[in-house]
Amino acid sequence: MNLLRSKSAEPLWKEEFSVHTSDERYVSRRQFSKFLVLTSAAMFVGNLWILVKSWLTRKPVYPEALIANLSDVPVAGVKLFNYPTPDDHCILVRLAADRVVAYSQKCTHLSCAVYYSAERKQLLCPCHNGSFSAEDGSVIAGPPPRPLPKIEIETRGDQLIARGVETNARG
Amino acid sequence: MFGYEFYIDPSRCIGCRSCLQACEECETHRGHSMINFDFIDREEGIQSAAYVCWHCDEPTCAQVCPADAIKKGEDGVVHSSLKPRCIACNNCVLACPFGIPKMWEPEQQMMKCDMCYDRTSIGKRPMCATVCPSQALAYVRPEDIAHRREKPSNTFVFGNQTITTKVYMMVPEPAQAVIIDAADYIWEARR
Amino acid sequence: MLGDDLQRETLPPRSRGLTAIAGAMSLIVVLVIVQIWLLTATLESFLAGRHAAALPAAAFSGLLFLCCAVLYFFIDRVDAESRR
Repeated sequence: MNLLRSKSAEPLWKEEFSVHTSDERYVSRRQFSKFLVLTSAAMFVGNLWILVKSWLTRKPVYPEALIANLSDVPVAGVKLFNYPTPDDHCILVRLAADRVVAYSQKCTHLSCAVYYSAERKQLLCPCHNGSFSAEDGSVIAGPPPRPLPKIEIETRGDQLIARGVETNARG
Repeated sequence: MFGYEFYIDPSRCIGCRSCLQACEECETHRGHSMINFDFIDREEGIQSAAYVCWHCDEPTCAQVCPADAIKKGEDGVVHSSLKPRCIACNNCVLACPFGIPKMWEPEQQMMKCDMCYDRTSIGKRPMCATVCPSQALAYVRPEDIAHRREKPSNTFVFGNQTITTKVYMMVPEPAQAVIIDAADYIWEARR
Repeated sequence: MLGDDLQRETLPPRSRGLTAIAGAMSLIVVLVIVQIWLLTATLESFLAGRHAAALPAAAFSGLLFLCCAVLYFFIDRVDAESRR
């Protein structure tokens, strides 16, 4: 603490409990400023913590899982499945004969289950009228702040294999 | 008040005790005077001297107070101890080199001259300076005291402690050169 | 009787440097508010998986903290000088 103070003839306790009433304004302001700077330091440490966590977080390895057979899903049809854990509900949509996409079913607004609307080619959320594009999961309208997480689907012959969850751009 | 200073000239004191009576009339401490009234050498003569608090620049009483109860305002007046904080420990009474603070035991409160702050803060003179007939206690502008033969001094030396005060003492020599060493006068040889 | 011409105010308070201190303090408050917002925004983007923002956010937060620290030392110096 001695490093942080200007050179002064008197000890700290004498300055902060001064006998001169005129010193009180200075002391209270200095103490408040010190508190503010400590808050600022805390915020900085918080940001550092986030930085360290971002360095330490590894890209998760997802298992492969067989979802369905391509022949079981009609064009403009959907298949609900769970990937990578039984609690992660996902929706697979066959947009065209050769185009299959899959997303997490949790709306990025407040986690309601989205459903597919074939005529609008969008994934709609019934809770607050949010809508996502079926092509890439981006937000078309409504309150959702982020696009729907995409599930990587690989077509091996007739089999639809889930490979992983597509994460957003990483540093 | 701005521009006015307190001057004490003990050689002018005639012992009328008007200052004691006037000080006693204050509502805050009615009946208890805050003036220190001394005799110079009662055995030898009747010369008296009246003193008020000297309102030191670095008040010893404030510095030794364990409860941080004695405060010196921006205008230089050292106040009596704050009632919520005073614990009647008597530190200030013992520490003051001039012997000014008085402990009022029934109220457990230190009281001393505060230059009649209720009067001086609104442009009036302190009671004692108002009533002193010989103006041994004077509250005037510095130019009004300049005509006197004695000159004001506010530096006192007590051994290793040099004290500068707000209240001036009138001394017979040029002010700049005079340092009053009270210790010299304590152990005078008896005649 | 003495006492007619004495209607003067008391000494003006010792307020040297108080304006500078007030200015520096308000600046610190603004910087801290910005820092708080930056922390919340960084946290939200991190939780959303966007890790790219963590490094520049931390750097900027450190810069803001340095500015706050410099302002605090300024206040300390003004305080010390006003006592002389």
